[in-house]
Amino acid sequence: MTMFEAILLTIITASTPLLIAAIGQLVVERSGVLNLGMEGMMIMGAACGFAAAILSGNSYIGVLAAIAAGMGMSMIFAVLTLGLAANQVASGLALSIFGLGLSGVIGAPFVGARRDTMARLDLPVLSDLPVIGKALFGQDPFVYASFALVIGVWWFLTRTKPGLILRACGESHASAHALGYPVLKIRLFAILFGGACAGLAGAYLSLVYTPFWSPGMTAGRGWIALAIVVFASWLPWRAMAGAYLFGGITILQLHAQGAGVKIPSQAMAALPYLVTIIALVIIMSRRGGQQSAPASLGVPFVPDR
Amino acid sequence: MNINRRQVLGGATALAGAATLGQPVFAQSNPLQVGFIYVGPVGDFGWSTMHDLGRKRLEEVMGAAVKTTVVESVAANDMERVATQLGRQGHRLIFTTSFSFFQPTMRVAPTLPNVFFESATGTQTAANVSLYNARFYEGRYVQGVIAARKSKSKTIGYIAAFPVPEVIHAINTVMRGAWSVDPAMKIRVIWVNAWFNPGREADAARALIDQGCDVICQHTDSPAPLQLANERGVFGFGQASDMTRFAPKAHLTSSVNSWGDYYVERAKAVIAGTWKPGDVWGGLNSGMFKLAPFTNMTPEEASEAQRIADAISTGRLHPFDGPIVRADGSTVVPAGGRLTDDQIRAQNYFYRGIEVALPS
Repeated sequence: MTMFEAILLTIITASTPLLIAAIGQLVVERSGVLNLGMEGMMIMGAACGFAAAILSGNSYIGVLAAIAAGMGMSMIFAVLTLGLAANQVASGLALSIFGLGLSGVIGAPFVGARRDTMARLDLPVLSDLPVIGKALFGQDPFVYASFALVIGVWWFLTRTKPGLILRACGESHASAHALGYPVLKIRLFAILFGGACAGLAGAYLSLVYTPFWSPGMTAGRGWIALAIVVFASWLPWRAMAGAYLFGGITILQLHAQGAGVKIPSQAMAALPYLVTIIALVIIMSRRGGQQSAPASLGVPFVPDR
Repeated sequence: MNINRRQVLGGATALAGAATLGQPVFAQSNPLQVGFIYVGPVGDFGWSTMHDLGRKRLEEVMGAAVKTTVVESVAANDMERVATQLGRQGHRLIFTTSFSFFQPTMRVAPTLPNVFFESATGTQTAANVSLYNARFYEGRYVQGVIAARKSKSKTIGYIAAFPVPEVIHAINTVMRGAWSVDPAMKIRVIWVNAWFNPGREADAARALIDQGCDVICQHTDSPAPLQLANERGVFGFGQASDMTRFAPKAHLTSSVNSWGDYYVERAKAVIAGTWKPGDVWGGLNSGMFKLAPFTNMTPEEASEAQRIADAISTGRLHPFDGPIVRADGSTVVPAGGRLTDDQIRAQNYFYRGIEVALPS
């Protein structure tokens, strides 16, 4: 394996949890809901996924448990924001804090337990391609899932009628409602999908990336995923680019340090954030300063009013 | 499955401890209330876990004479608030267990003159602030010796948290130990700017291994780098606790912290009214830390490592004996001299031969 392949492989590993979480959040926001509970849902996925994998001895059961945990958390959010029309920002923040705490309780008996990382799944023929073969097609199942999610969500949002309706709910929930679409139900499904993705991203952390459980192990990745959605101006392909840009610079700065590049490490550590912000500003200015956010993002919808 | 009763109970105690915060505490002269503030989660399986084991040892020995409270994962800028709250709730002895808590401790201590503070690492004492720390560098020297024996690429990878003297003199000492075996040894360092961030620690380990390092030293708290070394087929050392189980094929030894006896001693001093500010820096011979059993080493390698550890422990070998020359070529201490403890604690330079950017 050449150095280039090795770096590419590491970048993909580092970017995948961000990408999975960001894609889920993108769908949620496209339906007009801002769920700041990513971090909480993600870490619940990590805790429950690891716990289930240890108890059952099967990583795939762990993955399913993680998805269920993420969806369960997002259901709480849905009840608060859709059912009770609570403030989305406050509910989301509460969900993050709640998830960090609850995951600590669930994970406590599993501190110090270890599992082997999930096996890689080489795709025949493709994984033998030169340079990118090993990095793209000799990966763990999560990486393929993230590719599939990007393609699937892009196709759903731009090429299908349900996708169009979901976007309509995000742009103008009143109009969607007037046309007879069940806005709250559509948003509920979007929120659950977001929760499932967050749980999956959490499972990636505790089952593949660093296969053990430790409280607080998401270390802010949920927040970065939220930022990537904005950076991507709510488009799936750009979310992929954003996740890989962020992951890529994170890894490259580590390599630069290891190679003894004489730049202060604090500056290097800030680089991924800096580059992502600059990219965001450039994209925004190219759109003439116009916001590309869904127009109804974060606004509660109460049908009877 | 690797769960044991102690860990289950540990989680429960931590919860119970956290739950007592915020409740009104009634004026009660005994038992002695002891507060513990951790920089990471109790379950980091490293630094904070070991302080918590020390706390449990304290409870075990002192029984009903003490009542302990834990506040975990406290950010340095939140430390003053947590300490103030503990103080107001009647805690008379508070252990602030991180170097990043030292400055906040110094700020909060004068406002709570009836509370005794114990700061795990720091640079000065005060009327009600003691310092305690272990001479972990002694273990680092042994790690260096082992690394030099184990490495084929002659390059050590070091995952460092922050460029503070504690970490800098550890890197210097690892290389001192390595050079004592093979002067051609090299080191690569990655600063991850966190004591605990498993993902980033693992990424740093990946980068170092990709760059040809085949022995990984870590100065961060999670088992992630060691676990990754296991996966990639290189060697590594555990941090703070015995991490053998995380890396059965990669683990060489761990530096295992043990604070319990010190906590008992200090709690007894408060109860007896004999507490005085002190500055304890315990070495391998103090019991404040020890080396976990050597694994994945030949009997010769293990006995050499043990011999070095014994020599340090008995004072026959001192890792900071001169000559010590800075990276810029200036001599700090000539041959025959030795760095003082204060000089070791203030070390902010690499030795000559360590070609690593030092963030200023």
